[in-house]
Parts: sequence; C-alpha cells; structure tokens
Amino acid sequence: MTLRRIRNILRKEWGLLFTDPNSALLVTLLPFAVVGQFILYFWLAFRFGSEGMLGSSIFQTALEKLLQTIPEAAALPASEQLLVLLLNQFQFILLLIPVMIGIGIAAFSIVDEKLTGSLEALLATPVRTWELLLGKTLTGAIPAVLMTWISAGFFLLVISLLGWGNLSGLVLTPSWFLSLFLLTPAVAILSFMLGVIGSSRAKDSKGAQNIALIVVFPILALIGIQVTGIIWFTTLRTLVLALVIIAVDIIALRAAVHLFRRESIAIQWR
Amino acid sequence: MAIIETSGLSRRFKDVIAVDDLTMAVESGEVLGFLGPNGAGKTTTIRMLAGIIRPTGGEAVVAGHRIDRDVEKLHEVIGMLTETPGLYGRLSARRNLEYFAGFYPIDDVSTRVEKYLKLMGLWERRDDRAGTFSKGMKQRLALARALMHEPKVLFLDEPTSGLDPEAASEVRQLIRRMQEEGCTVFLSTHNLAEAEMLCNRIAVIQTRLLALDTAESLRRRFFRRKVIVELQSPDPNILAVVKGLPFVQEARKEGSRLSVELMDSERNRPELVRAIVEAGGKVVTVSEEQYTLEQVYLRLMNEEKISDAQAHS
Ligand SMILES: Nc1ncnc2c1ncn2[C@@H]1O[C@H](COP(=O)(O)OP(=O)(O)O)[C@@H](O)[C@H]1O
Ligand SMILES: [Mg+2]
Repeated sequence: MTLRRIRNILRKEWGLLFTDPNSALLVTLLPFAVVGQFILYFWLAFRFGSEGMLGSSIFQTALEKLLQTIPEAAALPASEQLLVLLLNQFQFILLLIPVMIGIGIAAFSIVDEKLTGSLEALLATPVRTWELLLGKTLTGAIPAVLMTWISAGFFLLVISLLGWGNLSGLVLTPSWFLSLFLLTPAVAILSFMLGVIGSSRAKDSKGAQNIALIVVFPILALIGIQVTGIIWFTTLRTLVLALVIIAVDIIALRAAVHLFRRESIAIQWR
Repeated sequence: MAIIETSGLSRRFKDVIAVDDLTMAVESGEVLGFLGPNGAGKTTTIRMLAGIIRPTGGEAVVAGHRIDRDVEKLHEVIGMLTETPGLYGRLSARRNLEYFAGFYPIDDVSTRVEKYLKLMGLWERRDDRAGTFSKGMKQRLALARALMHEPKVLFLDEPTSGLDPEAASEVRQLIRRMQEEGCTVFLSTHNLAEAEMLCNRIAVIQTRLLALDTAESLRRRFFRRKVIVELQSPDPNILAVVKGLPFVQEARKEGSRLSVELMDSERNRPELVRAIVEAGGKVVTVSEEQYTLEQVYLRLMNEEKISDAQAHS
C-alpha cells in the first residue's frame, strides 16, 4: 500500500513538474549551467592564475595532501597538479545540483498545495504523513540524482574536449565515485527534506526557500575546506561523510514528520 | 445508532474559542444540517471530526474511530468536501480523481473514477484540465473526489456557497442521492432554507451548540411564522379577544397592526380572521412574516444568555 501510494504521488508530481516550464527548465538546464560555469572558472584559473596560486601557501598545503592521496599526480608539471586539485573539487561542486533542484522544487510543492487548498483534502485521505513527505521528497530527489550523474558525464566530456583527458584518471578516484553514488543521493534527499520541512512551515514559497537555503552553505564550506587543504577528503573520509549525511537524512525525515503537524499545514490562516 | 458522537468537543486558537463544548450525536443514515453564521465554528468542527486538526478539549468518535487516535482508519471511511474545492488545476478531471483514489484501497481505480465522473455529469469533460471548469463543475468534481471511495460518513463544508442557483440545486440533488444510498451526511451551511430542504435534523451552532432538532420542531420553536393582521383602526379590545383564542401562542399590538403567533399558521389563520371580524375588527390585509436566520440566532443567543445568567445566580 505504501509503495502504491508513493508511486501515486510520484506520478502526479512529475505530471505537474514537467508541465510547468519553470520547474522543467530548472531541472534540465541548471545542472549544465553549474558544471559549465565552474569549468570556465577553473580554466581561467589554470590559464591565467596558476603561478600566483602555486606561490600561495594555501594551495601548497592542499597540493601536498593531494599528492599524498594521489601519488601518480607527482609526475605532472606543477600547473597541472593544480588543475587536478581544482578538478577534484567537482565531486563536491556536483552536490550543488541536487541542492539547488531540491530547493527549487520541494519548497514549492507543499506551499502550493497549502495555498490552493488541495492539501486539506489530501490530509482527509488515509495517506500517512511520512508517505506524503517521502513521496514529495523522492519527486525531486530522483530527477536531481539522475541529473547529477548526467552532469558528471558532461563534466568528463568537457574536460576531454579541453584536452585534459589524460587527467581524468586522476579525478575519477574512489572518493569521486563514492561521492557520486552515495553522497549525492544522500544530499539530494536531505535538501528535499529540508525544502519540504521549510515549505510546510512557511507561509509562502519564499519563506520556504530561505529555510532550505541553509543546506547550500555547508556544501560551499566543504569545497572551501578541501581546496584550502584544511581537510582532504580521502576515500575513507568521504565514506564517513556520506554515512553521516545518511544518518542526518533519517533524522530529518523523523523531524519532518514531527514538524509537519497536520494542522499547521492543513490550514491556511490569513 | 449514532455514527458520530461528540462529547465536550472544543477547539481554541490562541485566544479565540472556535468551538466550545460541543456534545451531540448523529444517527447513521441521517443528513444533519450544521447551521451557523460565518465564524460560528462550522469548518473547525468538520476539520476536527475529519481528523485534520486536533481538538483542544473533549473527544469524538466517528464511524467507530476515535478522531484523535485511529486517524488512518477514520480516513478510510469518511469523505470530505472542503470549503474550497482544492483541485489540481493543471491536471485533468480524471487525473484529479485517480490521484486521490490511489490513497484508498480501491481495486479498479479507472472503473471507479469513470462511475463517479458519470454520476457527476463530468464524463464528457474528463480529459479537460480542472482549472478550466466552472465553479459548479469544480464543486461536482470535488464532490466526486469526496465520494468515490464510498465513505460511510460524508462531511460537506458549505457545498453550495458561491454557486449560482442552478449549480446549487444540482449539488443538492446529488446530496439527496447520497442520502438515498444510506450515506450519513454532515452538511455545514449558513443557509436556513437549504438546511430545511435537505436535512433530517438541524444543529444550530454559534461557537456553542444552540439547538439540535428536526426542522419542523425548530420551526415550531424558533422559526414560527407570525401572522400580521392590519386593521383599519387600532382597537384595544381585539387584542384581548385574540389572546383568548386557544390556538394563539402570542399576540402583540403595534398601532393598528396585530402580530400573532399561531400553533399552526396555515390551519389557524381563517379562524383567527373570523374571530377578529366577529369581534368587530375591520381587517385590511392579512400577511405572514417569517423570522430570518439572524432573528433566530438573536433569539437563541438571548435564551443562551438568560440560561447562563440563571445558572450563575
Ligand atoms: N487556523 C485558525 N487560526 C486561528 N483562528 C481560527 C483558525 N481557524 C478558525 N479560526 C477562528 O475560529 C472561529 C471559527 O471559524 P470557522 O470554523 O472557520 O467558522 P465557520 O466555518 O463557521 O465560518 C473564527 O472566529 C475564526 O476566526
Ligand atoms: Mg467555514
């Protein structure tokens, strides 16, 4: 029954999602924009800024840690080592995609239904709160994860087009795959859950987005931490991080169910 | 057998008491009118009985389920028409129903949806977006949504408000049909005539339950029609004569007008006129005045105040 209900929610939400040009564009174009933009920055940094960056002590620490994890990179010229360092950030940059799609879609999903009054009718059906929340979360999380994987492919395609194909072996580390296949779904679910929590608490979708925006910062912080060499995410650390986020997912679902008190969302009180 | 039973059911929102100490029972198969002006607590009561919001006091059992405990089981056996239709405007009529049907244990969703779209006269428009429908059609679609899992108890929150007379009468016909099929209907309305037309009994609510009775006895008690007899000239004797008649409940004189409440307005009227004429009164016109709903409320509220005062002295 639960499975049937969740499938039912997915079918309806996707039906609505892809008939709404804004959301459809958000899901399909935004990931490419993110990847394209960061590759552009890195290309600019590599072409014009590598000497300055190599001279700075911040990047020195990061490079040392990179060489410890990927000893093969030692054979490369210094500027290419730097490029490997930058490209390795993509495992986290790609995480911005599920987060942004999550905020864009989930934040609207519940507020919309609250404003039109369909939520009240929905809550008079036997659907359980957590089924509804999980359904809404998966609505966004599934396309977000798929788009992240597609974007990863796009990323690899672009770096080979830029003539950096020889470096891709140094980017496709075990940590990269962990990040893509474990961390990405976990982060996608987390950001959707927060979006849903946000939109069930907020009076309008703007408020909901603000609440959900909170997840973006830790991810930006993650990139900052790694690129400055404070902590280098080895395979083990990435694994631990993913497991921590999965645990947070479970806590978030429970919190969402608790916060999502039926009446606070059912009633649109002016 | 009572299918809805409430006891001391109350709900407050911060400092507003929306529903206070509601104790009542609704019989199975009955259409109960829940009559009250705006802000009387009708929607709040329905939301509580439908397990959408929790009471802050008291309890209720609907179709054998405690409203604050067995919510999921409760939801399988009730249907609810919310104050606003709350449809997905970008989905077709059929998809709207299919989506909701997917939450109930219904085996053959598409057959069920077809049956209810046909019942509501929406089959021809099944693939059109609900957003393009007229108000009346939206309401019928929402009604189909509330009915399609064949609930034992149906809550309707002002089902005809905002509809044009024709659409309203269509909805009323559908409600009658539900009753014929044995469904218990809890119908909130601020329309006295509608409640009289459709309901076996009427509960009058203004935060508290003011009265609960059949339309007929409520009318006898509160909505009693008054006969207005216009005389050519004021005559003090006539009032005394009228007051002495056995079927007169109350009579007052306002100038040359007599306002008389009869036991049975239709049947007693000719006798009243004859008695006045025999006593020498020159009757110009005889007409009838009805209490408006507002007057009924005022009257009920006053009785309430009086009984409160008595209780406190
Ligand atoms: N969610 C809410 N928050 C605060 N006050 C509310 C809420 N819902 C209803 N009320 C108040 O409760 C009272 C009853 O409202 P309601 O049940 O909607 O009445 P009705 O449906 O009879 O018009 C009103 O005074 C209203 O202002
Ligand atoms: Mg109301």
